[in-house]
Amino acid sequence: MAVQAQEVRAARPGFDWWPVLRVLLQIVGVGLFLVLIPIAFGMEWRNFERIFTKATSLRFLSLGLIATVAVSLISILLSLPLATGLALGRLSRIRWIKLPCVAFIEVIRALPLLLLIFYINLRFPGLNFLAPVLGEPTTEYFGRAMQIVFGEKGIAVIIALTLYTAAVNAELLRSGILSLDRGQNEAARSLGLSYWQTMRKVILPQAYRRTLAPLIAQFTILVKDTSLGSIIGFIELQRTARIIYENDYNPLEALYVVAILYFIVNYLLGLTSKFIERRRPSVQLKPIETG
Amino acid sequence: MFGLTAENWELLFQGLLLTLWLTFASGLLSVALGIIVGIMRSAPIGLLRSIAAGYTELFRNIPLLTVLFFAYIYFGGRAGITLDAITTAIIALGVYTSAYVGEVIRAGLLTVSKGNIEAARSQGMSFMQSMRYVQLPQALRAAIPPLGTLIIALLKNTSLASTITVADLLFRADLVTDRTFNPDVLLIAGAMYVALTLPLGALVSVIERRWAILR
Repeated sequence: MAVQAQEVRAARPGFDWWPVLRVLLQIVGVGLFLVLIPIAFGMEWRNFERIFTKATSLRFLSLGLIATVAVSLISILLSLPLATGLALGRLSRIRWIKLPCVAFIEVIRALPLLLLIFYINLRFPGLNFLAPVLGEPTTEYFGRAMQIVFGEKGIAVIIALTLYTAAVNAELLRSGILSLDRGQNEAARSLGLSYWQTMRKVILPQAYRRTLAPLIAQFTILVKDTSLGSIIGFIELQRTARIIYENDYNPLEALYVVAILYFIVNYLLGLTSKFIERRRPSVQLKPIETG
Repeated sequence: MFGLTAENWELLFQGLLLTLWLTFASGLLSVALGIIVGIMRSAPIGLLRSIAAGYTELFRNIPLLTVLFFAYIYFGGRAGITLDAITTAIIALGVYTSAYVGEVIRAGLLTVSKGNIEAARSQGMSFMQSMRYVQLPQALRAAIPPLGTLIIALLKNTSLASTITVADLLFRADLVTDRTFNPDVLLIAGAMYVALTLPLGALVSVIERRWAILR
């Protein structure tokens, strides 16, 4: 049926309105969904109104969004070199390099992230080392954002997320490197390139290109995982929801607004992943997304 | 052992048991819901496909913690029924994971060859009959290794239930940490998690290798 309909459309000359209509329908569908959930869960409009009309609530929400995005970006950037090092270490033939890398990757991946965050937060109390740079507690917008992100809790979350993401991405990069043709490595080496030259100029660029889409998918998970920081008191989106509803007694509504913000950020990330995948189909490396 | 009293060890092991129960119960729920979602995503009716896709996208893009808090507050007096924290955690974890299970089932259904489906349908089976007797058994088989990976992730995710007062392993470890002022208790709990997830992971990769050869 579907195939027939497509053929008919293709045969009809003139403007192809179908993609436009489809996008419109999708927007209507998403809008309907957004309205149906509050009705289904019995949320009240005045509670939403209280969030959107209060300047402090909006300030909190935007600060939380900034903190979530900033911590995600920093962790992404820090985790990439670490992941590369771990992947190369695991592929190394030297046992004293390989074994620690394998142990690190496997243990960190097997631990719940929340436990890692708890542990780093409790065990290393000296993480507020940036406090002198950040200065006295301020109410000025940009200064406050910096203090949240680079404060004690922010640094703890960044370390935990970086370690965890690096361990997961190391496995991804390793499978990317292993998926390359052996000849690539052999050709580079027989041309007289050293190990590091081979890695830097031949192997790693190809491995990155092949794993780009799954790497971005992993970063979606990272954005979601920043929410765990709220448990140790890091003020990101999830925490701001709590701050708002503890003031205004509108928990469902505040959490719903925050969920939508998370959804938007992650959906945009997902779209880039899809876009990259379409332009440059990656090999069968897609890991099972586990959330 | 490790400077902990027997009482504290008992607390940790009780937490471990609850973690296992949470994993088991929410795992079952997520597979049951996930199969429904997976079938809906490959249904011949467009509306069903869209609803299932929306459900999947929703839960894949919002944090589990937000879902847990939402459920905790909703079932803590806002809903018609009031549920205790453990039941709430099982429901939230199950619903959240079902979105991922649905994707795995859908991928499994895509591996069933077209000839199989056509043969089933031309035998006079309805969509549901063909799904039940032909497609789903094959899809489930293809889905077992990725499902194992999901269950491992679920086991780790149950630790988030500690944030809504469920006394699981992480909750107990935190409690014992507060009692003994020793953050390394968390490492003991971590070792317990590792002792659960690493063998499971090894089992999954064995199953994966065996079945890959068979297929």
